[in-house]
Amino acid sequence: MQTRSPESETPEKSTSSIIRRIREFSLIGRDPVLFMSLLLSGIFIAVFVIFPLYKSIAGGFISKEGSFDLTYFARYFDDYYGPGLRRAFTDTMLMGLLTAASGTLVGFIFAYAVVRCNIPGKKIVHWLALVPTVSPPFALALAMILLFGRNGLITNKLLGISYVPGANDIYGLDGLVIVQTITFFSVSYLMLKAMLERLNPAMEEAASSLGAGRFHLFRTITLPLLIPGIAGSFLLLFVESLADLGNPLFIAGNKTVLSSQIFLAVIGEYNYQKASALSLILIIPTLVIFLVQRYYVNRRTYISVTGKPAGNQIMEKDPFIRWTINIITYLIIAFILLLYATIIYGSFSTAWGIDFSPTLKHWTMTVTRGVEAILDTTFLSVLATPVAAILGMIIAWLVVRKKFTGKDALDFTSNLGGAVPGTILGIGFIMAFNKPPLVLAIVVYAVLALFYGQVVGKKPAERVIILVGGTAAGVLLSTIHPPAMYYYLGGIYLVIAVLVLFTQKKKAFALTAALIGVYVMSTNWAVAIARPLANFSRSLERGFWSNALFQFSDHLKVIFQPTDALLAIVLAFAGVILMQNLSSRLARIGLGVLGLTVPAALSFTGVPFAMVGGAYIIMAAFIVRSLPASVRSGVAALQQIDPSIEEASNILGADAQYTFRKVTLPLILPALFAGLIFSFTRHMTSLSAIIFLVSAKWRIVTASILSEWEQGGVSIAAAYSTVIIIFVMIAIFVLNLMMNKLFKGRGSVDMSQGF
Amino acid sequence: MYLTLKNITKIFPPRGGVSEVTAVHNVSLDIEKGELVTLLGPSGCGKTTTLRMIAGFEFPTSGEIILDGQYINSLPPHKRDMSMVFQSYAIFPHLTVFENIAYGLNVQRLPKYEIVERVDRVLSLVHLEGYGHRAPTQLSGGQQQRVALARALVMEPKVLLMDEPLSNLDAKLREEMRTEIRRIQKELNITSVYVTHDQIEAMTLSDRIVVMNLGIIEQIGTPVEMYRFPQSHFVANFIGRANFLPAVVVEQREDFMIVKSHGETLRLINVKGKFSAGAEVSLIVRPEMVKIKKSGELYKGVIRRAVYLGDVIEYDVEIGGQLITGQETDPNVITLFPEGEEVSVGFAEGCIQVLQAEKSNA
Repeated sequence: MQTRSPESETPEKSTSSIIRRIREFSLIGRDPVLFMSLLLSGIFIAVFVIFPLYKSIAGGFISKEGSFDLTYFARYFDDYYGPGLRRAFTDTMLMGLLTAASGTLVGFIFAYAVVRCNIPGKKIVHWLALVPTVSPPFALALAMILLFGRNGLITNKLLGISYVPGANDIYGLDGLVIVQTITFFSVSYLMLKAMLERLNPAMEEAASSLGAGRFHLFRTITLPLLIPGIAGSFLLLFVESLADLGNPLFIAGNKTVLSSQIFLAVIGEYNYQKASALSLILIIPTLVIFLVQRYYVNRRTYISVTGKPAGNQIMEKDPFIRWTINIITYLIIAFILLLYATIIYGSFSTAWGIDFSPTLKHWTMTVTRGVEAILDTTFLSVLATPVAAILGMIIAWLVVRKKFTGKDALDFTSNLGGAVPGTILGIGFIMAFNKPPLVLAIVVYAVLALFYGQVVGKKPAERVIILVGGTAAGVLLSTIHPPAMYYYLGGIYLVIAVLVLFTQKKKAFALTAALIGVYVMSTNWAVAIARPLANFSRSLERGFWSNALFQFSDHLKVIFQPTDALLAIVLAFAGVILMQNLSSRLARIGLGVLGLTVPAALSFTGVPFAMVGGAYIIMAAFIVRSLPASVRSGVAALQQIDPSIEEASNILGADAQYTFRKVTLPLILPALFAGLIFSFTRHMTSLSAIIFLVSAKWRIVTASILSEWEQGGVSIAAAYSTVIIIFVMIAIFVLNLMMNKLFKGRGSVDMSQGF
Repeated sequence: MYLTLKNITKIFPPRGGVSEVTAVHNVSLDIEKGELVTLLGPSGCGKTTTLRMIAGFEFPTSGEIILDGQYINSLPPHKRDMSMVFQSYAIFPHLTVFENIAYGLNVQRLPKYEIVERVDRVLSLVHLEGYGHRAPTQLSGGQQQRVALARALVMEPKVLLMDEPLSNLDAKLREEMRTEIRRIQKELNITSVYVTHDQIEAMTLSDRIVVMNLGIIEQIGTPVEMYRFPQSHFVANFIGRANFLPAVVVEQREDFMIVKSHGETLRLINVKGKFSAGAEVSLIVRPEMVKIKKSGELYKGVIRRAVYLGDVIEYDVEIGGQLITGQETDPNVITLFPEGEEVSVGFAEGCIQVLQAEKSNA
């Protein structure tokens, strides 16, 4: 029984490794939950991240006539457009560098004050440092202008400065960098705070016991250990600064940067090719830094990310340094508070710059005319939030726990949607889903149908019958016009329900199928319910309630009328879950064909994936933007859970689904809550990604702030900003409260993962 | 045979810059019902991978796993009817002790009264009566260990798998749990596979020991066989300690063997294996087989190091240019030979085993 020398063999390497990968995939196939999670995240990312980004980038090379064209790249080198374009590019880079440097510096000062200087009111300082992350992207620019602008409270009113054209005012690169610094330094603060806390004091103690003086120690030990954090923060802020659209639009003055150029190309010129070309210019530095960050900086980290904060912190002993840092921190905090107070005050002042007396008229406007945007934004944000958080957890689970080919790609692309500038994503969404190619629907459907057939059918012959039968029936049904089609499709599910009830004796299955049937049919009834509501709202006196009711009738329609292609995806998965374990062959074929017919019909009716102008495209953009934050928070939580815990459940007889429900989910619930908070905040405050997606029917507050601002409605813009800040804070408060109730303090949200 | 591994090989595909790794190479093993088999070896020897393949957490690249006549290669863990005790215990932190132990029974949707009864029974088996309502965080390490064991035992599994279950306990507790696990395993007659890198654990627990190294099986045998008749230098060195004396075979007869080592002739009995005259071999001499006297033994030696350890006195003594370790086990002796002292060294020749000489490992 004795074996010897494993090295003596040279197996047929390359071919066997391919076979092994195929085997690996067939093993994944044996675990439907894993496969389903993989497909779900894969399809979402392929359709809503990769496809739009591809469209956005490729669009720069394709002229209106559809031929290959480099006009907008060539312009960088000609004499007419060249200088202006090149200046915008260098200004953009300069802005990025300055913001990154000053934001990191401010972040470091805050982190040092909180961790090492024992700053009085530490908790409050910490939370105030995070406030900029929950405010809409240009709130601070607005406040800066209200204070220091040409009619600014401080510049004009208090100091009596009146600007002549061309004078050095707040508008321009300087103002922009100040505003961006305040807007983005929180990220840097959180990163460096975590690093400082995890710095092992023994290292500094060792150095000082070896005779290193204070500055020598800081220079040779503390700083080098923090370098990865500082570099990481610098790169992140650089990217954030480049991607920022709101602040440049408000305060850049006559300077143009790439993000605002892109915005103007779309909004001002409807020139998507130009916008795409500019996007490519913007995305290159962003992507390079994203990659450097991921694959270089993160690997050079000396301090383990999972490490607990080291027990005893070294405190800054020198009172001069300590108080210098603390006072700078307090001053910045005071400045931040002043900015936010200005926003609130601005929303109540009669006519900023001329008449500062308080009035409620802007608020009346905001809650009557503006209620539409506020309700739309909140509704879509809320609806998208659980989807983003749950999808984030699923991806995190796959990335941390599962081994499969393409795992790195999933990890990378799930982060991509949040990492690229939002404007680029927005353009991509418009280009991708305005007239989406049929091939997109075909590919998505094919993948889903193959998976469906694989799981539902048990033998090759069954699978072929299910695939061919279901697809043919579906395509046939898709030619029937909408109202009738939905009745047929809903009817199919009702038939499934009845069949299951009598042949399979599975009540829960039958009930679910019946509910799906009714839901599909209700697509037709939504209008019938919504119209009387809308009519009733019109009969009311114009005001808050009539507008709110009218919006509510629209929101009802969103719930009952999902985009066909999306409903198809959901129903394909529902079919797999319901029909994965049918015992008789007849049932498998019969129910299998029926179950596939519905998604097939939905995939091919009308123009699948035509989403522009609707609510779902905005929600998809929200989710793509907030996904990285919830993935990160899930990854952080899962990495702290011993993988054997899931294996223990598995070997005790629980399958992946049971394990996830009973073990993994309860353990990552705090992270899920964190994901909910991050997602909702991101949704409510996002501007760049959705600015091109808003429509007359679906208004978003951030976009309304911009248009109010452009029309001179400064106070209404301020009121809108206040509303967003308040809503986000309420949401955070409520979710925190719920979590404390649920876990009685057992779990805590690690906010640092969210940014 | 109850559980059979047939030519199991596991190759981890290259991933993330790490090249392909052959973790387990052509391992075959038969385990009888009710037997406790230990997989013993240094870290990275493939013992844990082998265990995880039995559990179903990893699938073999080639080879077969057969349980109770059923081919289980592709069965997922939850359908294998096994249970496992993990190195980290893997107690569900959000469930109480009772809920932890009842977890697998709940999966099977057993009636409530049966669950309560079985959990209570297993709680008393591991001496944790009355701890059911506690949260895992309120338990000591040893108690958590017992919960993990109880959770595995309550399933009445076909095979109980244990992955270094005692490595997180302190020495005293480890000794206690070792005896405890063996008692329960025998009482319930559970077929068990136990992974450890601790040879004493393996010796005290096992019916049979499987020593693995670099992904292959070095030797399988009872504790006595492993210690007395090691079949490789690795096993001789890994289980207990050994001096390897270079020797040349003079002749081998039916019941004895004459070898020459360091210029002296030795007459060995009980030698396993056949060696031709003139073959270069290693003699395995364990420290307790070395007799160090003032005079009257075969070899002349010089004491190079002497340490009083309480239960034994340990010497490094040089004979023929080789340092060998020997022990004085007579409790009456309390005066040590000083370093540099010339002594007379002999061996318990009836215990010496012979191996083919290995060039690197003299």
